[in-house]
Amino acid sequence: MTLIYRLIILLLVTVFIKMLYSEKNIQNQINISLVLIPLVMRLLMIK
Amino acid sequence: MGKHRIIAIILTGVMTLVIIFTGREFKDMHADIPIFPSDDLAEVKMLSDYFEGLKNTPGDTQVYVFEGEEEGGSVLILGGTHPNEPSSNLTSILFVENLKVDKGRVFVITESNKSAFTHNDPQEGSPHGYYIETASGQRFFKYGSRATNPIHQWPDPDVYVHASSGQQLSGSETRNLNRAYPGREDGTLTEKVAYGITSLINKEQIDLTIDLHEASPEYPVINAMVAHETSADIASFAILEMQFQSIEIALEMSPKNLHGLSHRELGDFTETYPLLMETANPAQGRLRGATSAELIVEGIDPIYEKAGNAGFLFVKFDENGHPLNERVARHTTGIIEIVKAFNCLNSGKEIIIGGIPGYDDMLQQGIGAYLR
Repeated sequence: MTLIYRLIILLLVTVFIKMLYSEKNIQNQINISLVLIPLVMRLLMIK
Repeated sequence: MGKHRIIAIILTGVMTLVIIFTGREFKDMHADIPIFPSDDLAEVKMLSDYFEGLKNTPGDTQVYVFEGEEEGGSVLILGGTHPNEPSSNLTSILFVENLKVDKGRVFVITESNKSAFTHNDPQEGSPHGYYIETASGQRFFKYGSRATNPIHQWPDPDVYVHASSGQQLSGSETRNLNRAYPGREDGTLTEKVAYGITSLINKEQIDLTIDLHEASPEYPVINAMVAHETSADIASFAILEMQFQSIEIALEMSPKNLHGLSHRELGDFTETYPLLMETANPAQGRLRGATSAELIVEGIDPIYEKAGNAGFLFVKFDENGHPLNERVARHTTGIIEIVKAFNCLNSGKEIIIGGIPGYDDMLQQGIGAYLR
């Protein structure tokens, strides 16, 4: 179950990183970064 | 390289720094804090010694065992069922560091839900811990969450169904140790911890189990001792003795239709006499102002003072608040009086303990004077 959970998060992190580098609006880039912080921490099972 | 790509690289760098910095703080919460047991400690067991299924899981926790020279009864003190109720954890640590046992056996678990000590409740703004001044310097103690860390138990169901009763609660209660008793061998991590504690009680034939808690000042069951019907006599004796010492405390009977709680299920499923105690913790209440380590330790909050003056609370709340010293002193005195009451009612199975400071001493000297 945890493995599936982490795979889902990995997928989301990958999508968001791709969006961060393709996005042209700075405000949206900052928002994506903020969303990525808890996601990466959950992917690493820190928080 | 385009402007937006440069910004993305800068943001990636900033994000990485934030993750490293905050990640280290969160990782620190997974480390054990040092505890310095008294010379009377017989051994430190693990909960997995009683239930193999907890071995190498985040739910496995230390069980401090004290044995007197004479055979007698046995008591289990459960601290840290809810790690956002700090007087529970701190009282159990105080016992581990000071306890002397002449007769009988005393088992102490300081972090009953160990996983819940590794994180905070989201959106509560709680600090990771608080400090107490002791003779050996400042000591750090963790302030955790009410529930098991979701990185250790996921996902929460929409509705939590308590296994042995079929009672339905909100989904997040699936990670609440005090809704999981008597636990399940093949259940969630929280149910396994509950099962481990139930197994300990059965295997060690624990006579008396005392579960320590706190509640917000606006919660009706507060400054109270909750007793299973089998423990009512012991609780009544102990409460009378506490009231003679001018400590306000009430007796609450464990509701028969509220399942999963230690004071209900441990009485129904084991031979132990279960009791639960509550003190007033403004740091977990809904009316509090800024949440800080000072609020946890000092227990002073101007909003609660106003609410107290307006008569909205179930405890008196003045400018002195409810400091941790007082809350730990209440629990400590409660345990002493419960054990004395048990001794009165169970001749030949007495538990004779010492080394624990009295209520007034703790208020005057502070808990730090009794921590190593």
